[in-house]
Parts: sequence; structure tokens; C-alpha cells
Amino acid sequence: MKKIAPISLLLIVALLAITSYLALAVAPTEQTMGDVQRIFYYHVPSGWVAFLCFFINFVASGVYLWKRSAGSDAVAAASAEVGVVFCTVLLITGPLWARPVWGIWWTWDARLTTTLVLWLIYVSYLVLRRFSAGGQTQALAAAFAIFGFADVPIVYMSIRWFRTQHPSPVMGGGQNSGLDPAMAHVFLANLAAFTVMGIVFLVLRYQLQMQEHALESAHAQAALKGVA
Amino acid sequence: MNPTGLLSGMHLTPYSAAAYAIAWVIYLGYLGRILLRMKKVAAEREELERTLTRNPVTPSLTRSAS
Repeated sequence: MKKIAPISLLLIVALLAITSYLALAVAPTEQTMGDVQRIFYYHVPSGWVAFLCFFINFVASGVYLWKRSAGSDAVAAASAEVGVVFCTVLLITGPLWARPVWGIWWTWDARLTTTLVLWLIYVSYLVLRRFSAGGQTQALAAAFAIFGFADVPIVYMSIRWFRTQHPSPVMGGGQNSGLDPAMAHVFLANLAAFTVMGIVFLVLRYQLQMQEHALESAHAQAALKGVA
Repeated sequence: MNPTGLLSGMHLTPYSAAAYAIAWVIYLGYLGRILLRMKKVAAEREELERTLTRNPVTPSLTRSAS
């Protein structure tokens, strides 16, 4: 613990500093939107890590229902929480980009609405885990997570299925999509850095979950033996 | 270090500055929260182990995981 804290703090600060520098100083200015478009380099990687975490949560929840192992439950809990944190940044940076470009903070189009619903689903998941009593909490949460994940592909496909205020996909969106190579380099570097940041958060949060589980077990054993 | 000098090469607008500042606060705040909770759990565990060491009824109950 004494070594984990400074190392993880240093790593996260370094990743945030590098990604900010690349986005705000290195990337070229976009012609139509100007410098406000630089929000893109934090907005999209945050969304990517949120999706990745929710996918990990989906897999871990399935494994928990199959194996009933404490490890898979800890992975599920950790990934949901980290996913919510990244999704929160996604939902905050989006309106801050929309206001100067669209003239509005928010609109109830398919992409924005399904993303907000996704955030609410995983916040509900965390609330369920936190406040549900009884021995079936983990199983209930796992089942909830498996159904909740259904919103992820809907969010992803929403800008392809519906006409939205949100722009069409920038990468992999057809003939007229794509990024300037200088922008693409910064974007891919930030995507990689955010993925590392997400993994660091996941590992730390998983360790915490396992430590809390071990402490609860030790308390329960001690109580059974009439010590604590 | 002069903060204005540090930011002089950055292409910032009020909206992008707000977006980046909020993201930094959320990510670092979350990291701080995890690390504080880890410290608290470690302290609780040490306290429990001390209690168990003092009690001869349960000598085998020490580190149960991780």
C-alpha cells in the first residue's frame, strides 16, 4: 500500500498531463469548430474506456453466475464503478463541447439519451450492490448487469440507426469519415493512454474489493468465535 | 513556475479548459478515493489482527486473503 499510492498517483498524473499536452498543444486546430474541438481527445477515449469496462462487467457477471467465485464478482464490481466514472466524464465533456458548437447544452437525440440511460443503468447497479441486503446481492447484481449491457450496442449503433444531432462516426463511419493523420496520431495516443489509465483504476479497485471481502470474512470468523 | 507560462502553448477555450479541468478533478478524485479506502481497510485489518493476537481463543485466524 505504501508503494502503490505514490506510484499510481504519479502514473495517473503523468498520463493526464501527456494526454492534455498532446490534445491542447500538439494536435492541429480543426477548421470548422476551432480549438473547442480539442475536447474530442478526452471525450471519445473516456467513452471507449467506459464501454470497455461495461463489457468486462458483462463477462465477469456471466462468469459469476456460472462459477460463483468471489474474484469474478470483484471484477464485476470494480469494472462497473470505473465504467461509471469514465461515463460521467463522457457525459460532462459532451455538453461542454455541444454548447459552443450546437448552441445548446443538451438535446434528447438517440445517442445522448441512450448514453444517459446507460449511465443510469450502471449507477443503479452500484446502488443495488451497495444497499441490497441478503446473500443473493451478487447474483441479483450479475443478472441485472447482463441485461443492462444490452444498452451498450444500442448506444454504439444509435448514430448509425437514427438521424441524430450528434455527429456520425468519425472513424469507421463510411466513405466521408476519417481524421487528418496528425489528429489521428494524437487521438490514438490518447486512446492508448486512457486504456492504460482505465486498467490502472480497474486493478486498484479490484484489489480494494478483494481486501474488503477478506476483511468482511475475517470479521465474520472473529464474530463466530466470539472475539470481535 | 508561472502557470500562465505553462499554459501559453495550449490552445484553450473556456469550454475546453472547463472540460479538461473537470476531467482531471474527476479522475484524480476517484484515484484519491480508492487509495483512501485501501488505507482504511488496511488499518481495520491491522486492528482486527491485533485483537485476534491478544485473544488466545483464535490463534489461527490471521491473514485470510490477499
